[in-house]
Amino acid sequence: MSIQNFILSSVPAWIQKYTISKNELTIYVYPEYIVPFLYFLRDHTRVEHKLLMDLTATDFTNQEKRFEVVYNLLSVRYSTRIRVKTCIDQVTPIESCIDVYKSANWFEREVCDMFGIFFTNHPDLRRILTDYGFNGYPLRKDFPLTGFFEVRYDDTKKRVISEPLELTQEFRYFSFQSPWELINKTETPGLS
Amino acid sequence: MFLSKIAGPLRCAVKESTYIVGLEVVPNAREVLIGLYSKTLSELKATIPETAGYHQSVKDFTEHRLNICQAETKVPDIEAKIGHGQAEELIRSAENELELMKKMAVWKPWVVPEGHSIIYMTEEDYTADKALPDTATGRLLT
Repeated sequence: MSIQNFILSSVPAWIQKYTISKNELTIYVYPEYIVPFLYFLRDHTRVEHKLLMDLTATDFTNQEKRFEVVYNLLSVRYSTRIRVKTCIDQVTPIESCIDVYKSANWFEREVCDMFGIFFTNHPDLRRILTDYGFNGYPLRKDFPLTGFFEVRYDDTKKRVISEPLELTQEFRYFSFQSPWELINKTETPGLS
Repeated sequence: MFLSKIAGPLRCAVKESTYIVGLEVVPNAREVLIGLYSKTLSELKATIPETAGYHQSVKDFTEHRLNICQAETKVPDIEAKIGHGQAEELIRSAENELELMKKMAVWKPWVVPEGHSIIYMTEEDYTADKALPDTATGRLLT
């Protein structure tokens, strides 16, 4: 039995959807079951994903549940990797998985700092990357590239001051089309 | 001289170290393993319903390993036949499984709510889902 079929048949109630893209298995779990599912992946003898390599999030503003929290797991025993995702909106907190993986501590602080996703039961959810008194969540797609404050050295006051941006950036319309004229690809024998 | 003649074979019987940090050598690993696997099987029968996929999975490999442990008497033979690392590692994963089983009996992930179905996303679905919206026109870029 393949690994995905085995997981689907063992814990069907927790899984929302799954995909195999570029030979990598990704499983979407309902957010309320994320911690039990991680326990299952860690402790069951047939999977044994003992390491949490990375925990991060992605922001899709076009979706109702805009954030995807991503857990990348590694099994040293079977030399396999698995990606677990869960979709939440910006007001719903998600349970911290520190009890399962100790390494999640700083990863969750980082996700909380960069995306504003709140983790319940986290022992120490302070900011980790941004400065004291920083406003906003820098990795959200609606955060302006310039930020809201600028920091500069004032020669008369002889100190670094932080003040609101003078040149605020307007909301940008992203155009993904290249301004350069593209040369049509010609088929070259031997190259694909 | 005399002591080393007696102690030599005894020392060989139990290995020095597992060479894994935090994993102590268990001298009577075979007996411990048999005890753990029997306990796993009896608890499995008592707490997890037989129709659950989890029950079947745990039963399959635990019975397989228990049979090997009972058939072989030497620990290196058991390790070679199971092919899953040293006996101490087997003990640790059996203990983890027992802990997990207690939790699974409470969580009951095999009880599927009505109308629940698992969606399989093909590679095209998956990448289309991730497409960014073109903010000027509002349509999805693929």
